[in-house]
Amino acid sequence: MPAFKIPFNGYSVKFSPFNENRLAVATAQNFGILGNGRVHVLSIPPSPGAPIVETAAYDTADAVYDIAWSESHDSLLVAAIADGSVKVYDTNLPPASNPLRSLQEHTREVHAVDYNPSRRDSFLTASWDDSIKLWTVDRPISVRTFKEHAYCVYAAAWNPRHADVFASASGDCTVRVWDVREPGSTMIIPAHDFEVLYTDWNKYDDCILATASVDKSIRVWDVRSFRVPVTVLNGHNYAVRKVKFSPHRGSLMISCSYDMTVCLWDYMVEDALVGRYDHHTEFAVGVDMSVLVEGLLASTGWDELVYVWQHGTDPRAP
Amino acid sequence: MAMRELVTGGATCAVPGSSSSSSNPLGALANALIGSSSKTQERLKEIPVATPTGPENQFFQDGVPLRTLPGSEQDGAFLPPNAQGSEFLRTFHSAYQNDLADAWDDVQHGPLPHVVSDMRAGTVLRPPPTLDGPPQRMLSGLLHSFVDSSRGGIPFRPAQLPLLGLSERDKQCIRDRSTIMGRHFFADKSEDFINSQVNALLHSLDIDSDVRAKGPLPGRYRELEEYWNESQGMMRPVPHVADGWANEFNQLGVNPGNPESWARSFEQQHGSNGWASEFEQSQLMAADRMRGANLPNMAAMEQSRMLAHTLAQNNDPKFQNSKFLQFVSKMSRGELIIDDNQVKPAPGDWASEFQQQYNSGPSWTDEYLRNRGPDQWADEFTAKREQVQSADDQWANEFSKLHMNDWADEFGQQVAEGVFGEGTANDWANAYDEFMNEQIAMKQQSDSSRGVYVFSDMNPYVGHPNPLKEGQELFRKGLLSEAILALEAEVMKNPNNSEGWRLLGITHAENDDDQQAIAAMMKAEEADPSNLEVLLALGVSHTNELEQAAALRYLYGWLHHHPKYKTLTTPEMPLSFYHADVAGLFNEAAQMSPEDADVHIVLGVLYNLSREYDRAIASFQTALNLKPNDYSLWNKLGATQANSVQSADAISAYQRALDLKPNYVRAWANMGIGYANQGMYEESIPYYVRALTMNPKADNAWQYLRISLRYETSTKGSEKHSFYSMTCTTTLITIPLANFVAPPPGMTCWKLAILGIWMLSKRSSLCNRQAPPVTRVPPPPHSLGQWWRFVVHR
Repeated sequence: MPAFKIPFNGYSVKFSPFNENRLAVATAQNFGILGNGRVHVLSIPPSPGAPIVETAAYDTADAVYDIAWSESHDSLLVAAIADGSVKVYDTNLPPASNPLRSLQEHTREVHAVDYNPSRRDSFLTASWDDSIKLWTVDRPISVRTFKEHAYCVYAAAWNPRHADVFASASGDCTVRVWDVREPGSTMIIPAHDFEVLYTDWNKYDDCILATASVDKSIRVWDVRSFRVPVTVLNGHNYAVRKVKFSPHRGSLMISCSYDMTVCLWDYMVEDALVGRYDHHTEFAVGVDMSVLVEGLLASTGWDELVYVWQHGTDPRAP
Repeated sequence: MAMRELVTGGATCAVPGSSSSSSNPLGALANALIGSSSKTQERLKEIPVATPTGPENQFFQDGVPLRTLPGSEQDGAFLPPNAQGSEFLRTFHSAYQNDLADAWDDVQHGPLPHVVSDMRAGTVLRPPPTLDGPPQRMLSGLLHSFVDSSRGGIPFRPAQLPLLGLSERDKQCIRDRSTIMGRHFFADKSEDFINSQVNALLHSLDIDSDVRAKGPLPGRYRELEEYWNESQGMMRPVPHVADGWANEFNQLGVNPGNPESWARSFEQQHGSNGWASEFEQSQLMAADRMRGANLPNMAAMEQSRMLAHTLAQNNDPKFQNSKFLQFVSKMSRGELIIDDNQVKPAPGDWASEFQQQYNSGPSWTDEYLRNRGPDQWADEFTAKREQVQSADDQWANEFSKLHMNDWADEFGQQVAEGVFGEGTANDWANAYDEFMNEQIAMKQQSDSSRGVYVFSDMNPYVGHPNPLKEGQELFRKGLLSEAILALEAEVMKNPNNSEGWRLLGITHAENDDDQQAIAAMMKAEEADPSNLEVLLALGVSHTNELEQAAALRYLYGWLHHHPKYKTLTTPEMPLSFYHADVAGLFNEAAQMSPEDADVHIVLGVLYNLSREYDRAIASFQTALNLKPNDYSLWNKLGATQANSVQSADAISAYQRALDLKPNYVRAWANMGIGYANQGMYEESIPYYVRALTMNPKADNAWQYLRISLRYETSTKGSEKHSFYSMTCTTTLITIPLANFVAPPPGMTCWKLAILGIWMLSKRSSLCNRQAPPVTRVPPPPHSLGQWWRFVVHR
C-alpha cells in the first residue's frame, strides 16, 4: 500500500495489539535534535492499494522518540518525549482532552517506552538520564527507578514470559537484565564494544534476547550463558537502530539501521539474512511486526515516510 | 572522557522545571500566547476500559504505603556482575510465586501521594505551532547537513546561522542530542572525529560545546585578574593560560544578568579608574580570541574539502540522491548561501569568484563576522583548544592544501606561529602587509582592464522605478555606498545617461575610490564628451592617481569645451600636453574671468600635479572665497596643504569639509593622512578606520592605514604597541572580510570595526566629531560585557 507521508522525521512505529488496522507513529522535527514532535495514529486500509489514513494526531512540544500501545486498553498510547516527559494519550477522547497525562520525572530525553504484555497496566521508560522507570497507568509518579547504567539508556524490553523481568540496552555498552522484585540488576551483559541501541526478547524462548549496536552488528544472547553470544549477525553497514523478534516465528527478527535498510533475519540458520528492504531514503529508525497479521511489517525513517507492507512484497508497491 | 561529561553534565545539563516549556522558540511563543497553563485542574477522566484485561483491578485503591514496593527502598544498589547467572535464573523461574503476586498487589493498591486531579499536566499546544518560519527552516537545513554528514563519515561543514533566538535550553538540547546521536552516526570514527563534527554543528549555532556544562569555578575573580595580568604582559607560550582565561572570561560572559557585580568586583581590584585599563586588556583578549576562533573555521574549511572528496567517492546512488547530501554539497560549492535568515541560491558572480579563491568562503567568513560576543569567542576558543594546539603545526599545511590564495596562507602562518608567542601584533601587521602588496600586484596585473567599470553584485536597486532620483537623494544624504548602488542601477537601465555616470563617478570619488570614479567618468564622457563637470572630475581623479598625462588631457578638454574659454585653445586637440602650457592657458582663463571658481579649482589641481603646493593652495583659497560651501573644495585645499608641509592647516580644512558633509569618506581618509604626515600615526588610525568602515573598498585608505599601523607599532612601546595593533588588526580582519562577502551596508562586521574606532576615540578623544549615520557611536556601556552585547546583538 502507498507510503504515508508524515510531516516530521519518523522515529518509531508500532502496530496496535488490539486492532490489526491501527498503527501509531512517533515523529520528531529536525531529526529530533530540536523542535516539535507529533504522535500519529494511522488506519491501515483493509484492502491493499488503498491509502493509509490518519485517524488522530497529537502535537508535542518536543520530539517524540518512541510510542507504545497499551496492552490493556485499545485506545491508550504512551509516548516517550524528548523533554523528559512521558505522555499518555487516549484516542477515544477528543483532542482537547489529550494528553491524558504527562508524567514528568526523567531529567533527560525519554528514548523508549515498553508496555508490559503480561502485567498489562505497567510500562517502562528508558531515558538518557541513565535510568529506567517503571510506571503504572493510574499512578502519577513512577513506581521505581532503575539507575545503574553509566550512560544513556536507549531501550528497555519486558520479557514476554516473566512479567517482572526486563532487559535494558545502554550506551555504556552493556545490556542489563532486571527483575523488578530485586533491588538491582540481576545480570550485566557486556554485549558489545560499542553502544547498544536496542534489545528485545525472543517471544518463544524466554532466555534469548537480541541486541542491536552501533558496531553495526546484531547479537543474539542466551541469558543462561551470556559470556559469548549465540550468534552475531553482520550485514548492516551502519549502526543498527532497532531489532525485534517476530511474534510468530521464534527465530525471525527484523532490524532497521542507519544504513537506511530494514533487514529480516533468521538467527537459527546459516544464512541468517532472510530479506533486505531498501525502500527508505534516509535513516530507517523505526520498525515493527504486526502481532495480529503474520508477516505484516511497518517501518519509518527520517525520510518522513511510513511504510506498511506484507513480508515478501515491495514496500513501495502502490 | 569529555563527551561523557558533556552528555551527563550534571545538573547543568538537566532541565529542571521545564516540563511544559517548549523546546523550540516557536513552541515557546505558542506557550506564551496560549499559556502553558493547560495544567488545568480538571478531574482526571477515568480511562474508558474498552477491553477488560486481567483479573486485577487496574486502578489503585487505598492500601499499603508506596515505599513498601518491592525493591524501591534499595533503589540504586546492585549485585556484583559475577555470580549473577545463577541468581538470575533462580528468580527468573520463580516469577509467579505468591510473594511476587503480593508485591504486585502492593504496587497496584498503593496510595497516591498526590491528588489525582494534579495529574492532568500535559502541555497542550493548541493550535500547533507553525513550523515553517525562517528560523526553523534555517535550523532544519543545518541539522540536515549535520545528520547528512554522517553518511560515510562525511565531515560536517558548518554553515553559520544567524541568531535564531535559541534559548539556553534549546542549545542544550542541540548540544546533547547531537552529541549522542552523532556517536551513533559516526560509529566507526574516532572520538575526536565525533567531537569535531558535533563541535562544528554547535559552533555554527553559536553554542559552546562544553564550557557551559561545567559548574562555576570558585574564586574566579581573583584568578581572572591573574590571567589578565598575564595577558597584559606577554602571552606566555603555555596553552593552559589562554585556555584558563577563556574559561574564566566565559564564566563572566555567560552571566549577563549581573553586570553590576562584575563592575563592582572589578573596581575593587583596579580602583574606580581601572576601567580603561581593563578595557585595554580585554582588547588583547578579544584579539587573541579571534585567533582562537579562527582555527575552527579553518578546520571547517578543511572538512568541507574532505566532504566534497567523500561525496565524489561515494558511488551509492542512494546516498547520492539523499536530499541531505545534496544540501550539504550545494553548501560546500557555494551554490547556497545563508543570508538574512534565508538559505538562498548564490548569485552567480561573486559566489563563484569568491569560491575560486576561498573554498568555503561564505561560511567561514560569515562565521567570523557573525554576531559574536566575547563569551562566544571564548567558548569557541575553549571548545577548539585541542584543535588549536594540534593546529599549530598543521595549520599552514592545511592552508596550502586548501589552495587558498597567498594572503590567507601568509595570514595563517603568521597566526599559527604567533598563537601563543610574543610580538604577534607585528606579525599580523606584516601578514597584512604581504596581503596588501599582493593585492597591489594583482591590481597592477589587471591594469589592462583599467577603466572598466565594475558593477556591484546583488544590487537591491535594480528594478527601482527611478534609481537616478533615489541615487541623487542618497548622495545628498551622504549615504555614498547606497547611492552608488542606486546609480549603478540607473546606468544599467540607461547606459547613455551621462548624468547618471557622472554622479556615479563623483560619488565614487567622494567615497575615495578613484579607480571606479575614473571608470564611471569615462563612461560619462563617452555618453557626453563635452560635459565640463565630467572633464574636470576626470582631471581631478587622474591627478589623484598621479597620472599626469591623462589629467592634463582632461583638464585641457575642460577648457576646450568651455563656452567661455574655448577661444584660448586650438580647435584641434593636441596630441601631447605639457604642464606649463596647460597651466598657462588656465592662468589666462583666470585673468579673463577671475570670479569663476572653476578655473581656480582647475588651476589648483594643475599645481598639485606639478607639486607647486603653495600656488595650488592659493588657487584653492581663491576658489573658496567664491564658493565657501564646496566641501570637495575644502577637501582639495586640505589635501594640498597636507601634501605641503602645512598639515596642521590641512586638518582644519578637512574639518570644514566634514562639517559640510559628515559622510565624506575621502575627507575622513585625508584627515588621517594629515595626522600621519605630522608623524601622529596613532591619531591617524581612527580616521582611516572610520573611512574604511564607511567604504571598505577604499584601497588608498587601506594603504595609509597600513603605513600608520606599521609606524605606530614599530615606534611605540610594547604596551601601546600591542593595544593599537590588536585594535587595528581587529579592524583589518573584519573589514576585508566584509569587503569580500558582505553586501556593503549594515553588516555585523562593521560594528566590530566601529568598536575599534570607539576604543580609539576613548583613548585619544580624537573622534569627538558628530558621527555620520553609518558610524554612530553608542554611549559608553556600563561594563565591558554589556558593551560587547550592545555591539554584537544590535
